[in-house]
Amino acid sequence: MKTVFALSFMVLSTLAVAQQDVPAHPYVRFETTEGNIVVELDGRRAPLTVKNFLALVDSGYFDGTIFHRVIPGFMIQGGGYTPGLKSKEPDGELANESGNGLRNLRGTIAMARRSDPHTAVAQFYINLADNPSLDPQPDHWGYAVFGVVIEGADTVERIAESPTGPAGQFSKDVPIVPVVIKKAVRFEYGS
Amino acid sequence: MTTLFISDLHLESARPDIGAQFLGFLRGVARSADALYILGDLFESWVGDDDPDEHYATVKRALRELADSGVPLFFMHGNRDFMIGQRFADDTSATLLTDPHLLKIDGVEVLLSHGDALCTDDTEYQAFRQMTRNPAWQAMMLQKTLADRQVYARQARAASQQRGATMSPVIADVNQAAVEALMVQYGVNRLLHGHTHRPAVHRFMRDQERMTRIVLGDWYEQGSVVRWDSNGPRLEVLKR
Repeated sequence: MKTVFALSFMVLSTLAVAQQDVPAHPYVRFETTEGNIVVELDGRRAPLTVKNFLALVDSGYFDGTIFHRVIPGFMIQGGGYTPGLKSKEPDGELANESGNGLRNLRGTIAMARRSDPHTAVAQFYINLADNPSLDPQPDHWGYAVFGVVIEGADTVERIAESPTGPAGQFSKDVPIVPVVIKKAVRFEYGS
Repeated sequence: MTTLFISDLHLESARPDIGAQFLGFLRGVARSADALYILGDLFESWVGDDDPDEHYATVKRALRELADSGVPLFFMHGNRDFMIGQRFADDTSATLLTDPHLLKIDGVEVLLSHGDALCTDDTEYQAFRQMTRNPAWQAMMLQKTLADRQVYARQARAASQQRGATMSPVIADVNQAAVEALMVQYGVNRLLHGHTHRPAVHRFMRDQERMTRIVLGDWYEQGSVVRWDSNGPRLEVLKR
């Protein structure tokens, strides 16, 4: 019991520290070849994911990456490759925050990962529909939602309509004309 | 003894720069090797050995010249050129290998694979792979005209028909558990593959044994080759 209490305390402490470092509702603008997309991130519900994501944005990591997987009616996925499908994403791991109460609803942004739950690094996706199959269930982890698109839904739809096909290591779903994130920046309204 | 391994060139007429580097490689570096292994995705697409495309014909002739010069040539299918068949092998004097293939170099065993079968996180792709590697499916495809197959390949209709509840936003890479299971199954501690376009040498421990997984890179911007000689394997870059 003592151990459980100690562990709970540690988890809460970690979250508390993370929350102090992370803005509650930061905005990120993706300037893509199809137009801009603005997302509002939820630093309270997904502090570790948002902290990681903002660090990637601030370092310029996303600049020049592409949306490499586009599936109408499901999601658009990006942030892992440069044009020519060269992998940019390092190996890494991130605690899975899919149990934070945020659901994979249309217009939300969430982290892609491997089948192991804590393996998100940089690739993210934007849901084109409500995708409850990606939410956590009692017997498996979900995909962590950490924000929502607040501007540029039309850009998201345009990307979703990109003609796709096989390319490189992928058998399908790759936009034939690369959809590039020219720049991803953190900003505040009025600034 | 020097054995060379390459993969993921994704040759296509739209990328003559890759083709030129590869032809230079076949007429240069590869000539001094004792064997050349191509571990899949040599071509960006392959709809059948009857495709008369001149770009492909040039590559085939260069492969044949290498084999005729006395360098044994081995080819394993990738996820893009899995339709390559015996006619291609005859034209190029290449030996087709099944995936995976166990090779012994100077007494050291190494398991060769393209790598896509190890990407088990992508269950949707694995279903597609299972369908397209079925000899009956391939025979059905080869009964279509070349033009029909080209349209089919472009539209990847086969893939969309496979869509279902298994879709998930996965990161495309090998699954470590699948890697270890395959290595244990074949009793090897060295695995060499391509496919992921993430060139690296990964070392890890399993049951107190040192395991090595070498990953070949693609040829989009530069050549990626593993040179295996008396000093062991080395992952090298060929500048363009």
